[in-house]
Amino acid sequence: MTNQTNNILDIKGRVLNIQRYCSHDGPGIRTNVFIKGCSLRCKWCGNPESIRLKPEVSYDPKKCEGKKCSICLKKPFPEGAFYFVEGDDSKVKVNWQLAADTTEEMVSLCPTGALEMFGKTMTVGEVMEEVEKDASIYRSSGGGMTISGGEVMLQPDFAAALLQEAHNRGINTAIETACNAPWANLEKVLPHVDTMLHDIKLMNSERHKKWTGVGNERILANFKKAYETFPDIDFIARTPLIPGVNCDDEHILGVLEFIKPHKNVIDYELLPYHRFGLGKYESLGVVYELDDYKTPSDEVVKRFQAMIDKAFGRTTEEK
Amino acid sequence: MSKDTGQKRVAIMVGAGYVPGINAVVAGASLAASNLGWELVGILDGFEGVLHPEKYPSGGLIDINPKLLNMDPNTSSVLGQSSRMDPFNVRTINKDEMVEEVDMSDELMKRLKEKKIDAVISIVGGKGLSILYQLHKKGLNAVCVPRSIENEIASTSVSFGFNTALTFTIDMLDRARLAAKAAHKIAVVEVQGGEAGWIALQAGIAVAADAVLIPEIPVDLQHVATHLKKKMAGKKSWGLVVVAQGAKIINQKKKEEKVSSLKASLSPLATGDSNSEYVIHKSGQAAQAVAEGLQLRIAEETFPMVIGPWVRGGSPSAVDRQLGVTYGAGAIEALKAGGNGVMVAFVPPDIKFVPLAEAINKVRTIPAGSMFLQVADSLSIYVGNKEA
Repeated sequence: MTNQTNNILDIKGRVLNIQRYCSHDGPGIRTNVFIKGCSLRCKWCGNPESIRLKPEVSYDPKKCEGKKCSICLKKPFPEGAFYFVEGDDSKVKVNWQLAADTTEEMVSLCPTGALEMFGKTMTVGEVMEEVEKDASIYRSSGGGMTISGGEVMLQPDFAAALLQEAHNRGINTAIETACNAPWANLEKVLPHVDTMLHDIKLMNSERHKKWTGVGNERILANFKKAYETFPDIDFIARTPLIPGVNCDDEHILGVLEFIKPHKNVIDYELLPYHRFGLGKYESLGVVYELDDYKTPSDEVVKRFQAMIDKAFGRTTEEK
Repeated sequence: MSKDTGQKRVAIMVGAGYVPGINAVVAGASLAASNLGWELVGILDGFEGVLHPEKYPSGGLIDINPKLLNMDPNTSSVLGQSSRMDPFNVRTINKDEMVEEVDMSDELMKRLKEKKIDAVISIVGGKGLSILYQLHKKGLNAVCVPRSIENEIASTSVSFGFNTALTFTIDMLDRARLAAKAAHKIAVVEVQGGEAGWIALQAGIAVAADAVLIPEIPVDLQHVATHLKKKMAGKKSWGLVVVAQGAKIINQKKKEEKVSSLKASLSPLATGDSNSEYVIHKSGQAAQAVAEGLQLRIAEETFPMVIGPWVRGGSPSAVDRQLGVTYGAGAIEALKAGGNGVMVAFVPPDIKFVPLAEAINKVRTIPAGSMFLQVADSLSIYVGNKEA
């Protein structure tokens, strides 16, 4: 994705979205830059639009005007990609198999915005222009820019350039990563990071493979090496808590045991699973594999939080 | 179509979503191929057997012979498990141990050629039809057998698998009714049907259910509750509500998901959306949501039941056995007649070969003015087309 260029501002990457005024992914008020493409396939993923590196079309039937418009049934849209069900021309239907060839140019023809493209190519300069809009808020709140995903380490040159440029402009940096990437990618990115939020999804490698697509050996090795190689980074471990997958004492204790020897791991956060991603799976024509899982109960989350607080030597109120 | 009587090596495979009686299709194709002196081989687990032959002691392909016709219909498919594999998006782990989807359609075409496969018969549902259509456009000689539990593939009157599912569903609804009677409660039974409500409606009519909720007609649960109250105002102390998996509910606020205080959003688009209409469309959740919604509106107790994947096991019905054998043999007939890129279809009173380009994107849903809906109404089955 990255172009060879001498000017850091011209380096290109694939961006999903830029979201301002975020407060949960690093210190202070922040702008989150979501980049597209992930190297895991977590079955509970709440961001299906971020998974694939290539741009993808999405469809929101609520915005579709159906027969009145019908533009997507004609050229240049792929033949058969959009159609009407017999007897109902109020909304188009999408043949996701054939719609995969829909391009950004085609989507721009949709007058109502029912068709949308997830993922566009942006330069570091373009992203920073957006990020810098809230520079004064970062200064007053202690915030900055967070690169999230997808997986940051999948576009290491672009991510590194963005983070470096943020530092050049005096903006605090954070990344959110699962670190399933070669160490060489991490080595490019981490020198420009102030805070690294990292997901530890499962400590058992076999189960990690079942639920995310790959084992966790390299991921854990990357975390450990990162803790040791970059002592000045504030590391914050995180677990997306999914009942039936990792919502148990064994996992929490396993993570605590893994992170505790490293003093630069300053916190361990729990992210109780929610089902907000479901509608997005439908709008992308993707099958949601984790069908019936529930949000963990408040009691369970509180109990785990107490375990974490104890390990970090603080009371729950202090947190 | 030009008639082709030359020797052929034909492969047969099954796409995602298992239905009972796949072997009947295989048997039909096998016998017809054998009579022509053609060779029939089975591809195991969708296209897995061709793209990942190293997984199989047999190399991913198996010889099929007419002896299969004598087999017990209860035996599992000789073609292995159905597979969701889409050759245009195959999930792989790359050299950097990162997961990604890659287009292996060219590789698939190449390997089929290496295996000297002249044509592929594919037993598929709606999405599978589109995949085969794409492969056909790339040059694959393909014939499809329509297989669907919902019977939503409009280019054929009946898809293979529908009748078995309907038969089983009716049997289960009979049992649910007895359970409801015994418990003096309202059984809310979820049946298959994400896009089309044929199973729900036809089975609901067969058992004279009290209400049938289908994807085609969004319903207000208050109206369903009012209808049930009327029907249960006399001696009747039980009820039976049939809910298709893709039923649409209106005027009901979605359950609010509680968001972690640690992080309000995991996603740029992760916002609670409270539209007035929503599709449930998740196995088990339709029955749950409707049962809970009704119980809030009436005095009687409700209980949800889910038939769901149970319909995918067991024996094929008599109708599906004959349809399967017919479709299998019909696929060979299509190839013999020089057919390429077609779907075998039952278009009463005959079997026809419909071009795939015409077969895709034709979804048969229940039309608003359907006589089936009027019949249901005449049986006092609430189908959501008016206020109760």
